This record gives sequence, structure tokens and C-alpha cells, in this order.
Amino acid sequence: MKNNNDIILKDINKSYQKGDNTVVVLDHFNLTINSGEFVALMGPSGLGKSTLLHLMGGLDQPTSGEMVIGAQRIDNLKEAQFTKWRAENIGFVFQSHHLLPVLSAQGNVELPLALTPLNKKQRQEHASYALELVGMSDRSKHYPKELSGGQEQRVAIARAIVSDPNILLCDEPTGNLDRKTANEILAILAQLNRDFGKTIVMVTHDNKAAEYATRVINLESYMLEQNKCTVGEN
Amino acid sequence: MRTSAKNNHSLLINLKQAQALTVINFKSFPQRFTVSLVSMLSIGCVAAVMLSVLAMSEGMMKTLQRTGLDNTVLVMRAGATSELQSVMFPVEVNILANNSNVIKNKQGEAIVSAEMFVNAEMKYTNDVGDIEIPELSISLALRGISKSTQQFRPNFNLVSGKMFVTGVRQLIIGQAIARRMPELTVGKTITLGGAQWQISGIFSDGNSVFESELWADIGMVQSDYRRGNTIQSIRLALKDINNLPALAKEWQDDPRLNIRVITEKQFFADQASNLTRLIRWIGFPIAIVMALGAMVAALNTMYAAIASRSKEIATHKAIGFSPFAIATSILCEALLIAFVGGLFGILPLYLVFDGWTAATQNASNLSQMMFNFDISLLLAIKAMSLALFIGLIGGLLPALKAMRLPVTEALRD
Repeated sequence: MKNNNDIILKDINKSYQKGDNTVVVLDHFNLTINSGEFVALMGPSGLGKSTLLHLMGGLDQPTSGEMVIGAQRIDNLKEAQFTKWRAENIGFVFQSHHLLPVLSAQGNVELPLALTPLNKKQRQEHASYALELVGMSDRSKHYPKELSGGQEQRVAIARAIVSDPNILLCDEPTGNLDRKTANEILAILAQLNRDFGKTIVMVTHDNKAAEYATRVINLESYMLEQNKCTVGEN
Repeated sequence: MRTSAKNNHSLLINLKQAQALTVINFKSFPQRFTVSLVSMLSIGCVAAVMLSVLAMSEGMMKTLQRTGLDNTVLVMRAGATSELQSVMFPVEVNILANNSNVIKNKQGEAIVSAEMFVNAEMKYTNDVGDIEIPELSISLALRGISKSTQQFRPNFNLVSGKMFVTGVRQLIIGQAIARRMPELTVGKTITLGGAQWQISGIFSDGNSVFESELWADIGMVQSDYRRGNTIQSIRLALKDINNLPALAKEWQDDPRLNIRVITEKQFFADQASNLTRLIRWIGFPIAIVMALGAMVAALNTMYAAIASRSKEIATHKAIGFSPFAIATSILCEALLIAFVGGLFGILPLYLVFDGWTAATQNASNLSQMMFNFDISLLLAIKAMSLALFIGLIGGLLPALKAMRLPVTEALRD
């Protein structure tokens, strides 16, 4: 499983019911992301980028179609199985860091390890290492309100990688940051992809951010190419 | 077997996750303390009302249960449910006293206590220096007792002053009355039925209901209340209390007697159950209505807590925390609110009112009965259980909502 983190979406349909209307977001959508790729998903708002990310992360389920991630079919998992699978395989980085204000940076990073059999000492060691990777060792005891936006996002990345997931899903991770800080965050993501083989899928509107990716998918043109797209709401 | 082990393992993991989230919730709870205050106060009120009802009925029950002896037989007029309703004549006392089942003393006299019981309107003044205070009035039980009465009150003890003098308007008062009305001291004069009586002493009787009574010489009471030589109740000591059913039958068949026979213990136990039933009938419905209100308050608080933390909950879900763990942590927070609320209700009540002497109208004899507010650990646990139950019910629906919270929507909002 560690060697195969391919993300394969086959004939995915995703639609929402909005009042009496059915809004189609993804229509017979196909996509393959290979293990170790750093993919930037771009395109106009409302095209379904975040929906795609949520589907890959098991936060949402397709209306129909097949999703295989790391040789495991996930579209037919039950909620409890999804939760467990997500904890073991996926790390999320959101535009807003969603750190818990009552926990220190160390506490926030340790949180996902509560889902593992690690003991307290091991959890502390893992969290310290993750914070070191994102250059936040010296801020481990600080609370989110004592950190800058960039530092908070670094801690969020440390939280995403602390349980060593194969795949990182990032939803506009630099959307709230200035250019310099954004570049620092993107450099960390690129390092995680390059040095640790993490498969990264990043939704972004920022062309500069996309330059850090190994592949850029413009969803609008990609869907047109597939000739099966229907533009819907995100 | 394997499935069971797997289930246990899964439960343990869920509980471990729930514990981690609960610790976080508790850490952030001070930030929501003010918002949760309304719920806490509502729950506190319910706990306080429930505890008051329980403490009152427990206090009354204990007071009445401490009264009366197992081997003492109380005799009243047939049909009388209280001593106040009864009237008996000396001839009846003689017939009863001469029965061979009644214990005799060394002189061969039957151990019998003939007693008068009057619902007396007591008037007294509360002297504070030269300030003129209007006369106060209260309805109390005045018991006329004879020499042998004390043999039926093994716990009787004069705590201050001395015994009243026969043939004089003197009386002794129970210490529950003295506690409730500290201005009634030894030597003070009070008015009963228009006549002046002097308090000669204060007595205790093992916290029994007799401590809510005034005791005086039976002859003086008969005379002052114009009862001639009638009495109202007789107490007898039987050689063997097991003979009571047979004896009651014998007396019932005797055409000279028209009486009701009951053990003294049973008589006061019946009064206790009537009184406490009344309190519970009034108190419990109030507590239930308040509990429903408190549940709604708890429900609102928890819904608000979830609404304000939907992103946090969604993040927990995205990280991989199970819906069960999330719901459990919400429930634990609701229980924490209920626990603090319960303490708000129980602690002040305990600190201020435990042991406090309260008074109520004893419907069976129309007099004031004093009893102690008795807040025991068991009652506090009962009140706290109700508070936690309210928290549990109030937290249940919000917990289910948090469990089903759609992550994608919560993160997008």
C-alpha cells in the first residue's frame, strides 16, 4: 500500500439536490493521479475542485462511479470504515488552518495520533519531528493565537503529516497568506513530495503556487478534453 | 469469539478517541461558560427544588418515624384518625388498664398514660429592648400529660429549666419549638386560650414529633379548655405486643368500649406517609415541569455550542475521529454543564439549610410540626442524578446532530 498511492477516479458522477433542481457537479469524470505526484488542481470557482478533493479524501461520496485509492476501492466504504481509512491514509490541509485554540502547536499536532496505538511519549516524539520538518520546533509550546498565519499553516501541515499518511489533500493552503509566506508553505509541501514521496493534490487559484506542483490540471480544459463535462456548482 | 474481541477493540479505540476530544472540550469549556450559565442555573434550580422536596419529606419522615414505640399501644375513639378527633372517658381508661395483658408496676398499677391533646393558639411577644413589637400568634399542639406519661417517652430529657408544677399554669416546650422560636425562653410567659402560662423548661425527645409540642399538666389543660374529665388518647404498655390483634378483637367485642387500637409506631408512620405523599404530589410535578424547562435550556446551549464549533467538529471528522467519539464528547460536555448546574443547586442548599428547623401544618392535628431539613449524601446524589439525567437528555439530540454533521458543508461555511 505504501508503494501504491495511485488515485483512480472512474466514471464519477456527483450531483446535489437543491430544492427541486438537481445540480450536476461531476459528470462521468475520470482522473488518475499516480503515486508520488504533486498535482495542482486549478480552474474557475464552482467547477468542482473542492468537491473532487473531498471525494478523494472520503469526506463526501460520489453519486455513482468507482474510486480506487492505493489499490483499495473506497466509494463503497461505510462511514466507520471511511473514518478509519481517512485517519490512516489521508492528511488534510485547509485554507483556514482549523487549529484548536485551546491546544498548543504541539497539542494540535499530537491530536491525530490519538487515533493510533502510540503511547504518550511516542506521540510527543512524532509531533516534535513533524514540527521540526515544518520548521516550527521553537514554537511548539505556543498557542495558535500567538502564531502568525504562516506559522499556523505550518502547524496545520505538521498535523496533516504527523501520522505519516500517503496522501496530502490541500484545499487552497496558501489562500490566506502573503506571497513570501505562501512560498515558504509551498516549499514545505514540495519537500514533503520530493523527499518523503507524499502524493499531494492541491486545489489552488494561484499560478505561482501551481509552479511548485509536478503536474497542473486545469479542470475546465481537462473536462473539455474529456468531452464529458458539465459545468455545475461547487 | 473473534467478532466479540474485534468489537471490544473497536469500542476501546472509540472510547480513547472520545476521551481525547472530551479533554479538549473541557479545556475550551471556560470560553463557553457564560453561554452555558443559563442552562446551569436552570438545572441548578431543578436540583434545588428536587432536593428541597426530598429533604423536606425525608426530614418529616424521620421526625415522625422517630416518634412512637413498637410495644406501646395507642387507643383512641373508634373512627378517629388523630388524637384531636378522639374523646374518651375515665371509665374506658379503667376497663383498658385492668386488662391482664397490660404491664403493671411494682405497686400493681397498670402502666397507662391518659393524655389530652389540644390545638392551641399560642400568643407571645418578641421583646427587643423597649421597642414595642406586635403580639405574634401560632397554632401549636398542647399535650396534657400525666405522671406516667414519661414512662412512654424513653428519650425524654429536660435540656433546660425544670418540669412544670402540677396544678399551676406552667408548661415545658419541645426543643424544636425553641429552635424555631428562640425568643421562647425558660421563664417567659405566653398566652394559650386567653390564659397566661409560664415556660418552666425545654425538653428534647430524640428529635421526635413530640418536640413540636407544649406539654402541661393534664388537669390544667382539661380545666382551661373545659373538657371536664374527658381525655383524648390512652397509651398502654402490653406484656406481649403480639397479643395485640387478639386484644383488639376482644375490646372491639366489648359493648362498653368503642375504640380504635393501633401501635404508636404505626400511628405516626401512617401520619408520615400521608404528609410526605402530599409534599411529593405537590413537589414532584413542579420539579418535573422545571426539569422539562431545564432540558430545553440544555438543548439550546448544546445546539449553540455545536453551531459555534461546527468547523472544529468537521476538522475532527476530517482528521479521522469517529462520529461516536464526537457524539460522546458532546454528551460529556452536556453532563459537565449538568454537573456544575447540579452543584449550583445542591451546595447552597446544603450549606444554608442542612439541619435547619422548618415548620409545616400537620393536617392530621392542625398544629405546626417542626422538622429538620435533612440533606444527606444519598439525597444529594439523587438530586445530582436528576441534574445529570437532564444533561444527558439535553445533550443527546445535539450529540446526534454533531455525529451527522456534513463535513464538507461545515468546512465550506
